[in-house]
Amino acid sequence: MKNGPLFFLGIFAALALSWAGLALGPTAQLGGLAPYYDKGEDKAFPERSPGVASRGRLVYADLGCAACHTQEVRRPGFGDDQERKWGDRQSVARDYIHQDRVQLGQTRVGPDLTNYGARIEAAEKDPVRREQAVYNYLYRGTSAMPAYAFLFEENPANAQPSAKAVAREGDREIVPSARAEVLAAYLLSLKTVYDYPEAKPVVIAAEKEAEHK
Amino acid sequence: MISATTHVPASETDTTARGPLSLLILSAIKWLILSGLLSVIATIQLHKPSFLADCPLFTYGHIQALQETVFIYGWAANASFAVALWLLGRLSDAPLRGLGLLTVGTIFWNVGVTGGAIFILFGEATSIPFLQMPVYVHPLLLVSYAAIATPGVLAWTGRSTRATFATQWYAVAALFLFPWLYSVAQVMLLDAPVRGVTQAVVSAWFSSNLVSLWLLPIALAAAYYLVPKLSGRTLNNYHYAPHGFWTLIFFAAWNGARHLVGGPVPAWIPTLAIVSTALLLFHYLVIALNLRAGLTGGHGSNVLGFISLGLLAYLLGGVADVVFSFQHFAALIQFTYFPIAQLKLALLGAFSFPIFGALYYIVPRITGTAWPSAGLIRAHFGLSILGLVVTVASLAGAGWVQGQGLSEAGTSFVVIAARTKPWLMAATTGEGLLLLASLALGVNFIRLHAAACIGLVRSTIAMEGAAS
Repeated sequence: MKNGPLFFLGIFAALALSWAGLALGPTAQLGGLAPYYDKGEDKAFPERSPGVASRGRLVYADLGCAACHTQEVRRPGFGDDQERKWGDRQSVARDYIHQDRVQLGQTRVGPDLTNYGARIEAAEKDPVRREQAVYNYLYRGTSAMPAYAFLFEENPANAQPSAKAVAREGDREIVPSARAEVLAAYLLSLKTVYDYPEAKPVVIAAEKEAEHK
Repeated sequence: MISATTHVPASETDTTARGPLSLLILSAIKWLILSGLLSVIATIQLHKPSFLADCPLFTYGHIQALQETVFIYGWAANASFAVALWLLGRLSDAPLRGLGLLTVGTIFWNVGVTGGAIFILFGEATSIPFLQMPVYVHPLLLVSYAAIATPGVLAWTGRSTRATFATQWYAVAALFLFPWLYSVAQVMLLDAPVRGVTQAVVSAWFSSNLVSLWLLPIALAAAYYLVPKLSGRTLNNYHYAPHGFWTLIFFAAWNGARHLVGGPVPAWIPTLAIVSTALLLFHYLVIALNLRAGLTGGHGSNVLGFISLGLLAYLLGGVADVVFSFQHFAALIQFTYFPIAQLKLALLGAFSFPIFGALYYIVPRITGTAWPSAGLIRAHFGLSILGLVVTVASLAGAGWVQGQGLSEAGTSFVVIAARTKPWLMAATTGEGLLLLASLALGVNFIRLHAAACIGLVRSTIAMEGAAS
């Protein structure tokens, strides 16, 4: 290889080609993806998350939650995401169009959170107790997750205990700080329950055949 | 062959670039030690989540992001700049030029990384792999990089012969592709983020290319230069080397998105990534053929030993990438510690080992001083091998156990955490050994410079004595 300019042109072209394929390609394919309007419900999905949840997303990023939690339900045939009740359907590109920073995550040291809000909703009807469940989880942790006690603060307890208090010691009670409140709002907002046409499970041909036999 | 590191013929010594290159190497080693310490903390937190959990600065998310940043932009960047510039200078048959710019660039680069690291601790991390530092740090690094790369460009354009050698291709390609990748990632992920899951695709493209087209080529450049020098044998089948090079440049650029398989991205993206991962086998074959002399034993030389093991890690990692991209394995190991083990094999083995070898070779040649302690070199070598094997094997084991647990819907995360705990404790031990190894390198480097300073003072006194 003696020709310097040709050498540079080659390297440049190689990376430009992959950039066109992997950055421009998906942008062309998915960039125009619009919310899906459902006539029956008179709403477009995915819905925009409330402002308080958007602030919670920043706390989620700040603490680095994505280091241990993913936000994607894989297709059938890839793991048992749906058996674990992480979602009734696979995640699709349309689920993420309103997120300014997509945090799919890379490691599942803890459960997937795509439908965390939906799971808690199914388990607990009372919205106050739903929040309480999240606060307790954040404050105490588990043997697999650290406790985020620094997201909570100590307040003098009134005669009427706060509905949000996670613990009470004498005349003091431990209540969530503003950061914990927005984080909980974000976590509770996580749900992808609407079935888009493209999210209908693809039944693998072999499975279909097996069913017919 | 240990003599290659302890006694350097005067004809091979060129101390003109001593200051700037030593600054790069010193910064690199400092960050390597910090990264080792952070790795130990991070793996402890994985099996004991309550460790440092009460301090908001040291959440696992922060430590992990910080460790990754310090390793890539601290250790790997500084060390690979030093090695690439020295190699290009040596092959251009002339002293390096533009050294003032290099020094200024190095200082600002490290100021930028320090600032970025502090911002990460205070919760400003972006959560984008390998691009964790906040948006306002990156332009500084990009400008500093332009200054750092200048001597490399001058050495390439001012080379004495038109014909070029494989070391130059890999080093020049790496120096050229880094700003390309880095600036595109800044714009498309931070400044004007692309929409929705396209971010995940661009992020995968960036993080994988940063390793396979920037860091690993510099390790290969060092291997192509040092293997024939140290083994005393010529490169085998060298006429295939250009094919190996272009296979890497064209196909590695596509293979990052294989980790997105089964995810919410168009299926052609991971499919194409898996195909190009398999096509890279040709590149690994050429490397194995060309550098066979380096693979067949170190002959007692720690420099060649480091390079051999680095090449072995490179080839093993390449084959593992192909095997574990088959759907059955990919679905099992996805989102586990297993891909982390693969990444550690690439970064700590395939990249760092040849760079260690190169540093042991280069430092005496730019300072004119031999390494003061052969024992510390041997300690570094032994601890590195042991640490790498223990870390990678135990993380891979942890990932395998975790993957099996994840694929049984009835197994809770508390149970999975209990099952992976012994493996993660072993990984902590491995990271601890690697930390000790880098301390051995650090101590030896400091002692070398202390010895060089004393030597300088003595010769000055002697000269003054002679003058009077």
